[in-house]
Amino acid sequence: MSKQKLMEKEIESFDFQSGGEASSQLKNMLRKLGVDSKIVRKTAIVTYELEMNVVIHSEGGRLKAAVSAQELEIDVIDDGPGIPDLDKAFTPGFSTASDEIREMGFGAGMGLVNVKRYADKIDVESSENGTHVKVIIKLVN
Amino acid sequence: MSKKHSVLLKEDKCEGCTNCVKGCPTKAIRVHQGRAWIKEDLCIDCAECIRACEYHAKYTETDELEDILKSDYPVLLIPPSFYGQFSAEISSAKIKTAIRKIGFKGVYDVAEAAAALSRKTLEFLNNNTGSYISTSCPVIVRLIKLQYPDLIDMLIPLKSPVELAAEKIKKELKTELDINADIFFLTPCPAKLTTVDRAIGQKESFLSGAVGVENVYEKIYDLLGGITTVEIEKNNMIPLATIWGREGGEESILKSWQEINTISVSGINVVKKLLDEIERNNISSEIKYFEMTSCFDGCVGGVLNVINQYQAQFNLEQRVNKIKKEIGRNEISLEDKDDEKYNFYLKEEITADNFERLDQDFKKAMKKLEQLQKEIEILPGLDCAACGAPDCKTFAEDIVNGRAVRTDCIFMLRKQLGELANGLSQMANELPPVMSTDKEENDDS
Repeated sequence: MSKQKLMEKEIESFDFQSGGEASSQLKNMLRKLGVDSKIVRKTAIVTYELEMNVVIHSEGGRLKAAVSAQELEIDVIDDGPGIPDLDKAFTPGFSTASDEIREMGFGAGMGLVNVKRYADKIDVESSENGTHVKVIIKLVN
Repeated sequence: MSKKHSVLLKEDKCEGCTNCVKGCPTKAIRVHQGRAWIKEDLCIDCAECIRACEYHAKYTETDELEDILKSDYPVLLIPPSFYGQFSAEISSAKIKTAIRKIGFKGVYDVAEAAAALSRKTLEFLNNNTGSYISTSCPVIVRLIKLQYPDLIDMLIPLKSPVELAAEKIKKELKTELDINADIFFLTPCPAKLTTVDRAIGQKESFLSGAVGVENVYEKIYDLLGGITTVEIEKNNMIPLATIWGREGGEESILKSWQEINTISVSGINVVKKLLDEIERNNISSEIKYFEMTSCFDGCVGGVLNVINQYQAQFNLEQRVNKIKKEIGRNEISLEDKDDEKYNFYLKEEITADNFERLDQDFKKAMKKLEQLQKEIEILPGLDCAACGAPDCKTFAEDIVNGRAVRTDCIFMLRKQLGELANGLSQMANELPPVMSTDKEENDDS
């Protein structure tokens, strides 16, 4: 079944003030659609992590979401500089975040680890031109 | 009388302004035809509208003292926060004697149960992994049910101190003295009143009713002067757990026993921000317990209190310090064999109140969501509330749900009128001339 576009939102690099807005917006939409609260929570965690990744590590990007009655598709695309070592990025505790970022409470090296834990499917493509994370969250079992 | 909520509106006093509408944390109020309406499903009894209303049109209807005293054996439970209403110089025995003089057969401190609940909470946290949220403030529980249903599992499944106290005292009076007592609560807030009719996590409340502090304060105060030889009761000392009455009280008791990571916040909007962070996993799992109260400063900040919350907070602290001196201890004991008399656990599951869903059918909901996005784009986004809804997004939702029409927005109305006027003038120009324009000109000359 084809998916319908739900939202698309730009994410600014280093904009900690608005970081989290895209995930909040998506969360509210899912609740309006009557999606089970446990799935909403999973989605909120996944999208918040991905959104903050864009804020912290990239030169800016966008979050897109599309939905069908069966599943939710989230695309988070940024404009670089890319993830140098994808395997390491999925290692718990591994982080390239600066001390400054860590002082803000981010960069614990659990971002993508958590995304993988809560997503039903995850695909990551990365080059120096940017990273594209595609996540599928199932809405029905 | 069974009612859904305790926050009500005095219609004649409502000026139709939108202060309460804008201040409502669950967007439960709309102004239509010059008066405010509370959407019952969305109201969580936080009393923010009572605080926001300049015209005192919002109020709480608690039980009348006269009606309560008609009971054969009325018993009053005093919350810890109530002691903030008096200077610490006035002894608690004197206050309780005054309450008896009003006509209550028994007067008990909820703080006793609060101490027991703190002990149980610590035991629960030590025996369970994960992080938990206090269930003592009913507004917070209702907020989570309504807006953060995915966090329901974090609510600690233990009864509130008031319910614990009511259950224990009712049972004791029955078994020991064969008395059928009616237990009433001296409430600082409308939310506790609502739990009498709509209990949380239990089939029904052990309370028979509740009376607002503002409804009895004057009576108590007037009687205080006349009490000279206070009959010293067995229970004259009030428990150290009286500190529960203010924000951080519960937390401080837990921390006096054991090093434990907790966060304590008060004020509904601050609580919402914290819940947002918890929801997105942005609060570390090292934090085991969250004490949250809807009223700023905790229960001393309840709207039914008489004394301002700053003075009340000071009074409460002074009294707690006094108790510490009297008992020569700073901590509450970590063990009490009386704890066995409480049934701590909530029997019923706390369930979500999902009123946000646009339609039961996914496809229809999706359509409505699309329509909603469109409406949001069309609307001016000024959030002026002149339509009677708190902001344009909520108004758009009302339109989609058939509860409002676009022209309820004065900007949309203006635009439509302008278009209509343009259309009219255009149409006027298109009217077939009765006379030739030449002739008109000729006539004019």
